Amino acid sequence: MIKNNRLKICKQKFFQAVWQCGALFFLAVFLGFSINQFRDSRLPLFDDWSMEARLMSPSGERLDITLVEAKKLFLQEAVIIIDARPNDDYEKGHIRGARSLPWHDVDQRFMEVTKDISVDTPIITYCDGETCELSHHLANFLADSGFTNVRILVNGWTKWQNADLPIEKEDAD
Amino acid sequence: MTKQRKNLSRFFYHGARLILGVIFIYASYDKILHPKAFAEVVYNYQILPDGLINVTAIFLPWLEILMGVFLIVGFWMPGTIIWCNILLVVYIGALCFNLARGLDVNCGCFSTTKGSSISIETILWDAAFLTLSVYLFFVVFGLKFNEGSK
Repeated sequence: MIKNNRLKICKQKFFQAVWQCGALFFLAVFLGFSINQFRDSRLPLFDDWSMEARLMSPSGERLDITLVEAKKLFLQEAVIIIDARPNDDYEKGHIRGARSLPWHDVDQRFMEVTKDISVDTPIITYCDGETCELSHHLANFLADSGFTNVRILVNGWTKWQNADLPIEKEDAD
Repeated sequence: MTKQRKNLSRFFYHGARLILGVIFIYASYDKILHPKAFAEVVYNYQILPDGLINVTAIFLPWLEILMGVFLIVGFWMPGTIIWCNILLVVYIGALCFNLARGLDVNCGCFSTTKGSSISIETILWDAAFLTLSVYLFFVVFGLKFNEGSK
Protein backbone atom coordinates (compact mmCIF):
# COMPACT_ATOMS: atom_id res chain seq x y z
CA MET A 1 0.00 0.00 0.00
CA ILE A 2 2.76 2.41 1.05
CA LYS A 3 4.82 1.28 -1.95
CA ASN A 4 1.87 1.93 -4.29
CA ASN A 5 1.32 5.35 -2.79
CA ARG A 6 4.98 6.24 -3.22
CA LEU A 7 4.88 5.05 -6.86
CA LYS A 8 1.76 7.15 -7.47
CA ILE A 9 3.38 10.27 -5.99
CA CYS A 10 6.53 9.65 -8.01
CA LYS A 11 4.51 9.27 -11.23
CA GLN A 12 2.60 12.45 -10.46
CA LYS A 13 5.84 14.35 -9.80
CA PHE A 14 7.28 13.00 -13.03
CA PHE A 15 4.44 14.46 -15.10
CA GLN A 16 4.77 17.75 -13.21
CA ALA A 17 8.50 17.71 -13.94
CA VAL A 18 7.96 17.23 -17.68
CA TRP A 19 5.74 20.27 -18.16
CA GLN A 20 7.69 22.39 -15.68
CA CYS A 21 10.96 21.60 -17.47
CA GLY A 22 9.43 22.72 -20.75
CA ALA A 23 7.91 25.83 -19.17
CA LEU A 24 11.19 26.78 -17.48
CA PHE A 25 13.06 26.36 -20.74
CA PHE A 26 10.63 28.54 -22.70
CA LEU A 27 10.53 31.14 -19.93
CA ALA A 28 14.34 31.35 -19.98
CA VAL A 29 14.38 31.59 -23.78
CA PHE A 30 11.68 34.27 -23.73
CA LEU A 31 13.40 36.34 -21.01
CA GLY A 32 16.86 35.94 -22.52
CA PHE A 33 15.92 36.89 -26.07
CA SER A 34 13.51 39.69 -25.10
CA ILE A 35 15.97 41.39 -22.76
CA ASN A 36 18.79 40.87 -25.25
CA GLN A 37 16.81 42.80 -27.86
CA PHE A 38 16.54 45.89 -25.67
CA ARG A 39 19.99 46.10 -24.10
CA ASP A 40 22.87 48.29 -25.28
CA SER A 41 25.35 45.43 -25.42
CA ARG A 42 23.01 43.29 -27.55
CA LEU A 43 24.48 39.99 -28.64
CA PRO A 44 23.56 38.99 -32.21
CA LEU A 45 21.86 35.60 -32.45
CA PHE A 46 24.58 34.35 -34.76
CA ASP A 47 28.19 35.49 -34.97
CA ASP A 48 31.12 34.56 -37.15
CA TRP A 49 33.27 32.48 -34.77
CA SER A 50 35.75 31.35 -37.45
CA MET A 51 39.44 31.78 -36.63
CA GLU A 52 39.79 34.27 -39.52
CA ALA A 53 37.07 36.51 -38.11
CA ARG A 54 38.45 36.26 -34.60
CA LEU A 55 41.91 37.29 -35.75
CA MET A 56 40.69 40.36 -37.60
CA SER A 57 41.13 43.83 -36.14
CA PRO A 58 38.11 46.17 -36.12
CA SER A 59 39.67 47.89 -39.15
CA GLY A 60 39.75 44.57 -41.05
CA GLU A 61 43.46 43.71 -40.84
CA ARG A 62 44.70 40.25 -39.90
CA LEU A 63 46.29 40.27 -36.48
CA ASP A 64 47.97 36.87 -36.43
CA ILE A 65 51.62 36.26 -37.28
CA THR A 66 53.24 32.98 -38.28
CA LEU A 67 55.99 31.42 -36.19
CA VAL A 68 58.43 31.89 -39.11
CA GLU A 69 57.74 35.64 -39.28
CA ALA A 70 57.86 35.98 -35.48
CA LYS A 71 61.19 34.12 -35.35
CA LYS A 72 62.64 36.36 -38.07
CA LEU A 73 61.66 39.54 -36.20
CA PHE A 74 62.93 38.05 -32.93
CA LEU A 75 66.34 37.20 -34.40
CA GLN A 76 66.58 40.70 -35.92
CA GLU A 77 65.70 42.11 -32.48
CA ALA A 78 63.11 44.18 -34.31
CA VAL A 79 60.13 43.33 -32.14
CA ILE A 80 58.86 43.65 -28.59
CA ILE A 81 57.27 40.43 -27.41
CA ILE A 82 54.63 40.63 -24.69
CA ASP A 83 53.41 37.68 -22.64
CA ALA A 84 49.70 38.05 -21.83
CA ARG A 85 49.51 35.09 -19.44
CA PRO A 86 49.23 35.41 -15.65
CA ASN A 87 52.46 36.30 -13.87
CA ASP A 88 52.87 32.79 -12.38
CA ASP A 89 52.97 31.25 -15.85
CA TYR A 90 55.40 33.91 -17.05
CA GLU A 91 57.74 33.18 -14.16
CA LYS A 92 57.70 29.46 -14.90
CA GLY A 93 58.98 30.19 -18.40
CA HIS A 94 58.57 32.62 -21.27
CA ILE A 95 60.00 33.63 -24.64
CA ARG A 96 63.46 35.09 -24.07
CA GLY A 97 63.26 38.84 -23.60
CA ALA A 98 59.45 38.87 -23.48
CA ARG A 99 57.82 41.39 -21.17
CA SER A 100 55.03 40.33 -18.86
CA LEU A 101 51.73 42.15 -19.19
CA PRO A 102 49.05 39.81 -17.84
CA TRP A 103 45.72 40.64 -19.45
CA HIS A 104 44.01 40.58 -16.06
CA ASP A 105 46.39 43.26 -14.71
CA VAL A 106 46.48 45.33 -17.88
CA ASP A 107 44.95 48.44 -16.30
CA GLN A 108 47.51 48.52 -13.50
CA ARG A 109 50.62 47.56 -15.48
CA PHE A 110 50.04 48.95 -18.96
CA MET A 111 51.94 52.23 -18.44
CA GLU A 112 54.87 50.60 -16.67
CA VAL A 113 55.34 47.95 -19.40
CA THR A 114 54.81 50.12 -22.47
CA LYS A 115 56.24 53.52 -21.46
CA ASP A 116 59.44 53.05 -23.55
CA ILE A 117 57.73 51.57 -26.63
CA SER A 118 57.05 53.91 -29.55
CA VAL A 119 53.67 53.52 -31.18
CA ASP A 120 55.01 52.12 -34.48
CA THR A 121 57.28 49.47 -32.91
CA PRO A 122 56.31 45.93 -33.97
CA ILE A 123 54.74 44.16 -31.00
CA ILE A 124 53.82 40.48 -30.74
CA THR A 125 51.51 39.25 -28.01
CA TYR A 126 51.18 35.59 -27.05
CA CYS A 127 49.64 33.24 -24.53
CA ASP A 128 49.23 29.46 -24.55
CA GLY A 129 46.68 27.21 -26.26
CA GLU A 130 44.82 27.47 -29.58
CA THR A 131 41.78 28.92 -27.84
CA CYS A 132 43.61 31.22 -25.42
CA GLU A 133 41.99 34.64 -25.58
CA LEU A 134 44.46 36.63 -23.47
CA SER A 135 46.78 37.55 -26.37
CA HIS A 136 43.77 38.56 -28.52
CA HIS A 137 42.38 40.82 -25.81
CA LEU A 138 45.80 42.33 -25.15
CA ALA A 139 46.49 42.92 -28.86
CA ASN A 140 43.15 44.66 -29.31
CA PHE A 141 43.77 46.73 -26.19
CA LEU A 142 47.22 47.81 -27.42
CA ALA A 143 45.81 48.63 -30.87
CA ASP A 144 43.05 50.70 -29.22
CA SER A 145 45.73 52.45 -27.15
CA GLY A 146 47.44 53.70 -30.30
CA PHE A 147 50.02 51.03 -31.14
CA THR A 148 49.93 50.57 -34.89
CA ASN A 149 51.87 47.36 -35.43
CA VAL A 150 50.49 44.73 -33.04
CA ARG A 151 50.32 41.05 -34.01
CA ILE A 152 49.32 37.85 -32.21
CA LEU A 153 51.31 34.63 -32.16
CA VAL A 154 48.43 32.19 -31.61
CA ASN A 155 49.32 29.38 -29.17
CA GLY A 156 52.66 31.20 -28.96
CA TRP A 157 54.21 29.60 -25.88
CA THR A 158 53.66 26.01 -27.06
CA LYS A 159 54.71 26.79 -30.65
CA TRP A 160 57.86 28.59 -29.49
CA GLN A 161 58.93 25.71 -27.24
CA ASN A 162 58.14 23.07 -29.85
CA ALA A 163 60.38 24.93 -32.31
CA ASP A 164 63.22 24.94 -29.72
CA LEU A 165 63.48 28.71 -29.85
CA PRO A 166 65.11 30.60 -26.95
CA ILE A 167 63.19 30.74 -23.70
CA GLU A 168 64.05 31.83 -20.19
CA LYS A 169 62.74 31.47 -16.65
CA GLU A 170 62.47 34.23 -14.08
CA ASP A 171 64.79 32.58 -11.56
CA ALA A 172 67.42 32.06 -14.29
CA ASP A 173 67.79 35.80 -14.88
CA MET B 1 10.44 8.61 12.39
CA THR B 2 11.06 10.71 15.44
CA LYS B 3 10.30 14.40 15.49
CA GLN B 4 13.99 15.17 15.82
CA ARG B 5 14.86 13.18 12.68
CA LYS B 6 12.01 14.84 10.81
CA ASN B 7 13.36 18.27 11.76
CA LEU B 8 16.86 17.29 10.70
CA SER B 9 15.51 16.01 7.41
CA ARG B 10 13.67 19.31 6.85
CA PHE B 11 16.79 21.26 7.75
CA PHE B 12 18.84 19.38 5.14
CA TYR B 13 16.17 19.76 2.47
CA HIS B 14 15.74 23.52 2.93
CA GLY B 15 19.49 24.02 3.38
CA ALA B 16 20.34 22.21 0.15
CA ARG B 17 17.61 24.12 -1.70
CA LEU B 18 18.87 27.52 -0.48
CA ILE B 19 22.55 26.75 -1.09
CA LEU B 20 21.91 25.58 -4.67
CA GLY B 21 19.59 28.53 -5.30
CA VAL B 22 22.16 31.10 -4.20
CA ILE B 23 24.88 29.33 -6.23
CA PHE B 24 22.81 29.41 -9.42
CA ILE B 25 21.91 33.08 -8.98
CA TYR B 26 25.53 33.99 -8.26
CA ALA B 27 26.68 31.96 -11.27
CA SER B 28 24.23 33.64 -13.64
CA TYR B 29 24.71 37.25 -12.53
CA ASP B 30 28.01 38.01 -14.31
CA LYS B 31 26.97 36.06 -17.41
CA ILE B 32 23.82 38.18 -17.75
CA LEU B 33 25.83 41.40 -17.37
CA HIS B 34 28.49 40.37 -19.92
CA PRO B 35 26.83 38.29 -22.66
CA LYS B 36 29.66 38.79 -25.16
CA ALA B 37 32.29 37.60 -22.68
CA PHE B 38 30.11 34.61 -21.79
CA ALA B 39 29.71 33.76 -25.49
CA GLU B 40 33.52 33.66 -25.70
CA VAL B 41 33.64 31.32 -22.71
CA VAL B 42 31.11 29.04 -24.45
CA TYR B 43 33.16 29.21 -27.68
CA ASN B 44 36.37 28.34 -25.84
CA TYR B 45 34.91 25.09 -24.58
CA GLN B 46 34.95 23.98 -28.25
CA ILE B 47 31.93 21.75 -27.80
CA LEU B 48 28.96 23.53 -29.40
CA PRO B 49 28.71 24.30 -33.13
CA ASP B 50 29.33 27.99 -33.94
CA GLY B 51 25.62 28.57 -34.71
CA LEU B 52 24.58 27.68 -31.16
CA ILE B 53 27.17 29.71 -29.23
CA ASN B 54 25.37 33.06 -29.02
CA VAL B 55 21.95 31.47 -28.61
CA THR B 56 23.28 29.47 -25.63
CA ALA B 57 24.99 32.53 -24.16
CA ILE B 58 21.70 34.44 -24.35
CA PHE B 59 19.32 31.96 -22.72
CA LEU B 60 21.49 29.81 -20.40
CA PRO B 61 22.17 32.49 -17.73
CA TRP B 62 18.43 33.21 -17.58
CA LEU B 63 17.70 29.53 -17.10
CA GLU B 64 20.22 29.54 -14.24
CA ILE B 65 18.77 32.62 -12.56
CA LEU B 66 15.21 31.27 -12.85
CA MET B 67 16.36 27.98 -11.36
CA GLY B 68 18.09 29.85 -8.55
CA VAL B 69 15.00 31.90 -7.71
CA PHE B 70 12.65 28.89 -7.97
CA LEU B 71 14.91 26.82 -5.71
CA ILE B 72 14.93 29.56 -3.09
CA VAL B 73 11.17 30.12 -3.12
CA GLY B 74 10.41 26.41 -3.61
CA PHE B 75 8.41 26.93 -6.80
CA TRP B 76 8.05 24.27 -9.58
CA MET B 77 10.47 22.06 -7.67
CA PRO B 78 10.15 18.87 -9.76
CA GLY B 79 10.98 20.66 -13.03
CA THR B 80 13.61 22.90 -11.44
CA ILE B 81 15.46 20.02 -9.81
CA ILE B 82 15.49 18.02 -13.07
CA TRP B 83 17.10 21.03 -14.84
CA CYS B 84 19.56 21.37 -11.96
CA ASN B 85 20.71 17.78 -12.38
CA ILE B 86 20.85 18.03 -16.18
CA LEU B 87 22.90 21.26 -16.13
CA LEU B 88 25.35 20.07 -13.48
CA VAL B 89 25.91 16.76 -15.30
CA VAL B 90 26.48 18.67 -18.57
CA TYR B 91 28.88 21.12 -16.87
CA ILE B 92 30.88 18.31 -15.24
CA GLY B 93 30.97 16.45 -18.57
CA ALA B 94 32.22 19.56 -20.40
CA LEU B 95 34.88 20.23 -17.75
CA CYS B 96 36.12 16.62 -17.76
CA PHE B 97 36.14 16.50 -21.58
CA ASN B 98 38.25 19.65 -21.89
CA LEU B 99 40.53 18.75 -19.02
CA ALA B 100 41.14 15.32 -20.59
CA ARG B 101 42.06 16.84 -23.96
CA GLY B 102 44.30 19.41 -22.28
CA LEU B 103 42.45 22.60 -23.21
CA ASP B 104 43.42 25.44 -20.88
CA VAL B 105 40.20 27.47 -20.92
CA ASN B 106 38.57 29.90 -18.55
CA CYS B 107 36.01 27.98 -16.48
CA GLY B 108 33.40 30.74 -16.72
CA CYS B 109 31.66 29.01 -13.81
CA PHE B 110 31.00 32.11 -11.72
CA SER B 111 32.71 34.87 -13.67
CA THR B 112 33.31 35.59 -17.35
CA THR B 113 36.26 37.87 -16.72
CA LYS B 114 38.41 36.34 -13.99
CA GLY B 115 41.06 33.98 -15.28
CA SER B 116 40.06 30.86 -13.36
CA SER B 117 41.10 27.97 -15.58
CA ILE B 118 39.31 24.63 -15.46
CA SER B 119 40.88 22.15 -13.05
CA ILE B 120 40.16 19.11 -10.91
CA GLU B 121 39.09 21.58 -8.22
CA THR B 122 36.33 23.07 -10.38
CA ILE B 123 35.10 19.56 -11.21
CA LEU B 124 35.03 18.64 -7.51
CA TRP B 125 33.04 21.78 -6.71
CA ASP B 126 30.50 20.91 -9.40
CA ALA B 127 30.39 17.33 -8.12
CA ALA B 128 29.58 18.66 -4.64
CA PHE B 129 26.74 20.76 -6.09
CA LEU B 130 25.53 17.71 -8.02
CA THR B 131 25.44 15.72 -4.78
CA LEU B 132 23.11 18.34 -3.27
CA SER B 133 21.04 18.34 -6.44
CA VAL B 134 20.69 14.53 -6.51
CA TYR B 135 19.70 14.61 -2.83
CA LEU B 136 16.99 17.17 -3.65
CA PHE B 137 15.84 14.99 -6.56
CA PHE B 138 15.27 12.07 -4.18
CA VAL B 139 13.41 14.27 -1.71
CA VAL B 140 11.24 16.04 -4.27
CA PHE B 141 10.28 12.84 -6.08
CA GLY B 142 9.48 11.10 -2.80
CA LEU B 143 11.93 8.32 -3.48
CA LYS B 144 13.67 8.75 -0.14
CA PHE B 145 13.91 11.29 2.67
CA ASN B 146 10.41 12.47 1.56
CA GLU B 147 9.50 13.46 5.08
CA GLY B 148 11.70 16.52 4.76
CA SER B 149 10.03 18.15 1.80
CA LYS B 150 6.70 18.79 3.41
